[in-house]
Amino acid sequence: MPQTTIYVAPRTPPPPAVATRELARLFGRDAALAGVSLRVERGRLIALTGPNGAGKTTLLRILATSLRPSFGVAEVDGVDVATHPELVRPRVAYLSHATGLYDDLTAAENLRFAATLLGRPSGTDGVADTLAEVGLALDADRRVRGFSAGMRRRLALGRLLLASPSLVLLDEPHAALDADGMALVDRLLGRWRDAGATVLVASHHADRIHDQADGWARMDAGLLVEVGGEGVAATLPAPALDSAPAPVRAQR
Amino acid sequence: MSALRADAAVAWAIARKDALSELRGRHAAGSTLFFAALVLLLFGFALGPDSRRLAEAAPGLLWLAIVFGGLLTVARLHQLEADDDALDQLARYPVERHAIYAGKALAGLAAMLVLGAVVLPVVVILYGVEVGGAWPALLATLVLGAIGFAAVGTFYAGVTVRMRAREVMLPLLMLPVVAPLLLAAVKATAAALGGDPFGELGAWLQLLAGFDVVMLIAGGLTYGHLLEE
Amino acid sequence: MKTRILGAVALLAVIAAAVNALLIVPADLNQGDAQRIMYVHVPSAWLGYLSFGVTALAGIGYLWRRDLRLDAVAVSAAEIGVMFTAFAIWGGMMWGKPVWGVYWQWEDPRLTTTALLLALYVGYLLFRRLTDDPARRAARAAVVGIIAAIDIPIVHFSVEWWRGLHQRATFGSPDKLLNPAAPAQFVIALVAMVVAFTLAWAWLMIRRYQLARIEWQIEEHGRLGRISAARRAAVAPQAPAAQAPAEEAAP
Repeated sequence: MPQTTIYVAPRTPPPPAVATRELARLFGRDAALAGVSLRVERGRLIALTGPNGAGKTTLLRILATSLRPSFGVAEVDGVDVATHPELVRPRVAYLSHATGLYDDLTAAENLRFAATLLGRPSGTDGVADTLAEVGLALDADRRVRGFSAGMRRRLALGRLLLASPSLVLLDEPHAALDADGMALVDRLLGRWRDAGATVLVASHHADRIHDQADGWARMDAGLLVEVGGEGVAATLPAPALDSAPAPVRAQR
Repeated sequence: MSALRADAAVAWAIARKDALSELRGRHAAGSTLFFAALVLLLFGFALGPDSRRLAEAAPGLLWLAIVFGGLLTVARLHQLEADDDALDQLARYPVERHAIYAGKALAGLAAMLVLGAVVLPVVVILYGVEVGGAWPALLATLVLGAIGFAAVGTFYAGVTVRMRAREVMLPLLMLPVVAPLLLAAVKATAAALGGDPFGELGAWLQLLAGFDVVMLIAGGLTYGHLLEE
Repeated sequence: MKTRILGAVALLAVIAAAVNALLIVPADLNQGDAQRIMYVHVPSAWLGYLSFGVTALAGIGYLWRRDLRLDAVAVSAAEIGVMFTAFAIWGGMMWGKPVWGVYWQWEDPRLTTTALLLALYVGYLLFRRLTDDPARRAARAAVVGIIAAIDIPIVHFSVEWWRGLHQRATFGSPDKLLNPAAPAQFVIALVAMVVAFTLAWAWLMIRRYQLARIEWQIEEHGRLGRISAARRAAVAPQAPAAQAPAEEAAP
């Protein structure tokens, strides 16, 4: 009988959901992110706070693979977003400021399109259920052109539900929503928590999020200023150095 | 093989979405067709009234009208993605970049074929062209030319969609690149209409086909870089 | 220092080759002294094409490595290339008038391809001016440069066919010099000019790249400085977080 040798790999802990090292992003002369080193543990809900222009959106966009880092490294589930964005995209769902909907298509058609591109065949795409979930069942066959901002946002949230991400990134999800809409967001946050996904929410509505969040991170002027709670760790900018450490150059 | 099928499904979904948007889009597509016909009318005023001269010039004028109309067409198809930052969202789906390109190019091809189908009869009427038995060759030229223009146009529309001065940058960048396509298409059209006295039709169609293949491959490989910021 | 030597050698080579080509080598029997323009037209055209090749390759390199120095190479090659290309076209036209009788001959594939090359160059350089962010500009310009470079052989080929499929009377060809039947003296003079021009091109490329590199270093240092300034301002106890002191960003 041939002998087989079985190698048992030492048990390494799974990588954090999000890990950045000295992540920086410049737009021409403007440092939108000036060296952010952040870790977010899996399955946590973290609130990202800070004033406008603090770099919250930039950070989320880099994690969503919509933006390349200028310097530093950003990793999702241990995968570098700059070198292997195609491996990151299936794991991430991002709700941005702009809803990215097609005005001349109906709500249902928009979702069906998204479902197809997310790899869900048309029979089981769950579009009707999703529309009901976000309260747009009656508007399913109306063109998005006539939708209010709140309705667009609901539809965009519905699009997120069609995916099954391990990392959910929300940029101001409560914007333009009425009380029902905000309750919907809270419900969805709970749903993603239960599914074990990691959620990163940038929001001005700190109070609403903080009830549900495990931890929080505050940003200002492209830097992390403070973190707290559970599931999030950061290397904050060191005080009173004459020269800051040189940013780690992005590999690609 | 299922990766190819997945890509095809993505491309088809994108093309279908664009076609739906075009059909519902408040006469924007129709305006372009009318513009192309108007251009042909204007050529008549510029080069006429000698109908023989116009008939000789017809192949060139046909393709110029297609090029001018085509510039507006490919720009419009990418403009569909500009509203509400839809291109940004499109880039985030876990699909191959070349599948996105293929979808947009397919929509572009459909739009270009419609343009050609409208422009050709107008040319026949306005410039007194005798088509006779040249229909198959004419259609082949139209299809090959449309593929090439859509391939290049989709690429450059993607380049310029988020730029300043995009209305002038698109033609400025695109026209030198489609010069060989224009040349070959006009020659093939003229040969087809004239009964192909030198037997050159096949050669020109081959050049068109070669152009199409090269540009489709080049566009597919590089389009992904345009989607990232 | 090495650049200085290259510059001196290039200058001497150009002078020597030019004196040879313009004064020493006998004039062409048919075309007379006008034919001497070819000694500058052909090398210029060659360098125009070479430069575009460099631009495209540097673009590919940038997309692979994301090193902005490669983008500096690309823009240097484009700027120098557009000069040589414009000069080549001008030379071609100056030659055309006395020999062909016209400034422009549509059936000459080299002239029309070079004209299109100029159009592609100008498009590339204008395109670069319209994007501010250096990384974005570099990536997009790289892609534009690559597609344009792919187009050039297609253009040349199609214009050749354009000419070839029409049985027209042959006209005087500028590349008579490149025919094997040309007298050795002419060919040597041309080769000497090509070598001399290429040396001059290399020197121009290096100088232009050095300039671009300094610009890049200032820009880069400025960028890193702005990042550091933002960091220090944020952790300084009293300083407002949004302000990045200008002095600290200076190299």
